[in-house]
Parts: sequence; C-alpha cells; structure tokens
Amino acid sequence: MCVTTKLMDREGVVISNAALTDRLFEMVLQVPDIPADVKGGQFVHVQIPGMEGHMLRRPFSVYYVDLEASTMGILYQVVGFGSKRFAQLLPGEKVRVLGSIGTPWSAPVQTKRALLTVGGVGAAPLYMHACDLVAAGVEVDVVMGAQTKDALVAAERYTRLLGHEPFLATDDGSYGHHGFVTDLVVERLAQGQYDYAACCGPAPMMRIVSQKTLEAGVSSFVSMEQHMACGIGACLGCIVATTEGNRRSCVDGPIFDAAKVVW
Amino acid sequence: MTVNMQVNLGGLLMKNPVTTGSGTFGSGMQYADFLDVSRLGAVTTKGVSVVPWEGGPMPRLAETPFGMLNAIGLQNPGVDHFKEVDLPWLEQQGATVIVNVSGHSVPEYVGCLQALEESQVPHAYEINISCPNVDAGGMTIGTDPKMVEEVVSACRAQTKKPMFVKLTPNVTDIAEIARAAEASGADAISLINTLLGMGIDIRTRKPLLARVTGGLSGPAIKPVALAKVWQVANAVKVPVLGMGGIASAEDAIEFMLAGATAVAVGAANFVDPTATIKVIEGIEAYCESQGVNDVNELIGGMVC
Repeated sequence: MCVTTKLMDREGVVISNAALTDRLFEMVLQVPDIPADVKGGQFVHVQIPGMEGHMLRRPFSVYYVDLEASTMGILYQVVGFGSKRFAQLLPGEKVRVLGSIGTPWSAPVQTKRALLTVGGVGAAPLYMHACDLVAAGVEVDVVMGAQTKDALVAAERYTRLLGHEPFLATDDGSYGHHGFVTDLVVERLAQGQYDYAACCGPAPMMRIVSQKTLEAGVSSFVSMEQHMACGIGACLGCIVATTEGNRRSCVDGPIFDAAKVVW
Repeated sequence: MTVNMQVNLGGLLMKNPVTTGSGTFGSGMQYADFLDVSRLGAVTTKGVSVVPWEGGPMPRLAETPFGMLNAIGLQNPGVDHFKEVDLPWLEQQGATVIVNVSGHSVPEYVGCLQALEESQVPHAYEINISCPNVDAGGMTIGTDPKMVEEVVSACRAQTKKPMFVKLTPNVTDIAEIARAAEASGADAISLINTLLGMGIDIRTRKPLLARVTGGLSGPAIKPVALAKVWQVANAVKVPVLGMGGIASAEDAIEFMLAGATAVAVGAANFVDPTATIKVIEGIEAYCESQGVNDVNELIGGMVC
C-alpha cells in the first residue's frame, strides 16, 4: 500500500462552516501539518466536541486544501447525530483531526483520458484527484449527479478546474440530464476512449459505474466508505469484501480497484 | 517521589499496570505513529486462531450511548501470518506481549498455542473463551464451567508461560467460572469481555449489526465491569486483569482499587490513539499526589 507518511492527530480550528443547502455543508478547517500531507482520496477522522454519549470519531473526505493557510475543505451531508453536530460548529471551535488516512487515488502513469463519476458529496473525495490529473495533462471528463440542481454544490468548482461544465444529472430533472449519472456514464463510454475511471458516490451508483466501465475495458477505481471505529486499521469494523478477501476500507482503501470489489 | 509502577500479573512482569484490550489495538503496529508500544505494561494482541478467520458479515459496528456494539467475529489472518509479521515487529519494538488466543474447539486452541510456543516472543497468553460473536468456541465455552475446565487444562498443558483466561460477563455467576479457570491452571483472570447487546434501526427495522447481536463496550459498561472485577478478585487467589470501559486514569484506578492487578484500555483507543499513555501517566500522577510510592498499594485498596 502507498501510505508512506506518518499518521498525525492534531487540533484543528473551524474557520468557516457554511450551509449550502438544508443538508449539505462545507467546512474549512485549519489544522497544522495535515493539509500539506493529504493526497486526493484520503480522509481525516474527526473527534467532534459536544457529542455527549456519541464517543466515536467521524470520517470526512478532504475536498481541497490551501497549503498557505494550512486549511482543508470538507463537504458533508447531514445524515446522523455526528454530522448534525458537525454542522452546528461555529468558527473558532476546536476539533481533533487524525490524518491523512487511506490510500490515495492513483491513475496509471500512461493515463490519457479519464472519466470521473461523482454522486452527491462523493464529488469531494475526487476533486483533488481531478486537479492532479488535469495538472498532469490528462484529458478529464467529469460526470456529476445530485438529487436536485441546488445539490450540485461542487459543480462550480469542477467547472473552474475543467474550463467547462461537467456532464450533469439530477434525479428530479431540475438541471442537466433528468435521471441517474449512470445514464451519462453509458453515453460517455460509448463516445470516449477512456483508459481510466474513478468513481465516488452511493454504493448502488458505484456498483453500476464499476460494471459499465469494466465492461468497456477501462481500468476502474472506486472510493468505498463504511462505518468505522478507529480509522487506523485496528478495529476491523469497516470491511469491504474483495476477491482477495476482506479488506479494511480505512487503510487498505478507501480507494479500491473496482475489478476486485465483491458487490 | 518515584512511584514503582511495576506489577506482576500471574508471573508476567509489567513495567506498569496498563495493557490494551484485545481487538482494540491490532498488534500495536497500527498505533506506532502515535506511541512507543514498549512504554505499555504490555500489548495484548488481537485474537489469533490456528487458521485464518474471515470474520462476520457487515455491518459489524454500531455506536450506542457511551459505547459501541461490535460483531467483528475474530477476523484474523491466522497464527502463521501472526508469527511472521506481528510477533517479529513487537519483538523489534521491545514490547511486552500478551497474545490473545482464540479457537472454535479444544484442538484449535491447542493447535494455536503449539504454533505460538515455537516462538520466543509471546511473554504471556490470554485464552479467549468469551467472544460473543462466533458460533462455536468463544462465549459458548466461557459460559460453561465444565467446558472452561476442559479448554483451560488443555491449554495449560501446552505452555509454562503465564496464561490468563478472559471471561465473559454474560453468565449468572462469574465467580464460579473464574474459580473453574483458576482450578484448571489459569495464572490470572482477565475480565470483562463485551456484554451481549443489540440495536435496531427503527426506520428500516433492520438490526444495527448484521449478526443481530454483538458485544457492547465503552464507558457504558464500566460499572458492570467494575462489579465483575470486584466479585472475581474476591473469589480467586490469582490476580485479575480488569477491563471494560476504561477511558481515563481515574477509571483504571477504580479497577485497581476493586482488586485488579493490571488493567486494559479498550474501545478508548478508537477515540484517542494515545489513551493508553494518558492512563499510565495519570495513574502515576495520582500515586504521586496521594503519596503512594508503589502502584501495587492500589490493588484491592477500596475502603468499605
């Protein structure tokens, strides 16, 4: 595995924590050392203050970093107690941040054309990777889906990176293709000569995108997230079934070769 | 004032009374970025079996008030891998090593111990007859005094090293089980393993764990664990390794006052990877502040 740097547990401070929709939030956290260490696809394990009886940390993918300010962006959806509490944090509040965890995305060196598919907050863990690919001269197509137009919160950032809008889909048809991103993926695969695919989103979406890209002969990778306790490979709670046996999503992943995932 | 922190746990000399709860610390390797594992009284490793185990279905974890449920199912890569990878690493770190040994049957416990005995590294063994998340072995053994005697005697015949037996709290009379383990050759009693528990997602009506039931750990179980430790410490002559919800030095000191010679930090490692070190330093600071120059003075020191 390509985790070479040491894990760090640092105190971070909330710089901003903005509501983008009623359920989607974007936090900027200032943390020593970790932003300079994070690679695309990695995550941090955060101990949120004021969680009362909820003692476990919560994993959050890193969206982007600002090395000068030593900050990182976190795009998240409120789904349970932890993320709800996270959304209440105010600028100046402190959290413990453990990172950088997991295997980063890694496209084969000869990659010429990449198809990135993101669903919902799955847009975050692929953004830094998209930046790396663009910087490396890879032709990058992004397919992005969300429930509604308002929930396409990462579209603008990706548009700036690519110089054009991603291929967009909304479940309710309020913007772009009316339907699932998987329709657009099939369309792209029929037209483009891709040699690399990466995907992050809800499990059913990743399963279909994996299947379609692999069928098209494209080397394909997915980011698998599971509930986890420790986040550092000890508890064995966050298992992903693979053709090579059970693997930990935290440190053996979260990036997995789609061809090896047993769905 | 220098506090003597060394304790003798059934023949195992520990530089301080703090080890790790099996399954919460891997083999220590996973925590090496955060602490020097040789600073611990001992590292108690994740349960190892004679052949690799794939563990149970997902989901295996759920958070519950002041604790968590797990049904990992003793996933481990088997004793051969453990001897190749984990034991040499622990030796290199200069760690004191307690190896937690698991099995489905008497021959499996014996086979695992025989394989481990070929290595010099383990300083002691903890025989796990208390895992609630396997269908055979584990807790099914630890709830029956006759089975306890059978497994512990068979294990005893394999090793002269200090051998502890880890008990489940999911029994009517834990003192009876502890006495059976002691009579069969246990050098210390380790307790408690997790309490059987479950949870249900009322929106989906599905159990929180794929196995439906699992083991409850964390601060929620501390008062239960403390009572069991006190009961067992009063029932047997061999020392007790106390655990269950220890998250701070204060918690650990309570266990020692209740009769534990040493303590294990478990689920707290998941929250703070340096929890063990904080507990060690906190116990020492407590002794200093109380004018206690030997940590052994705390053992069974509760005043009634």
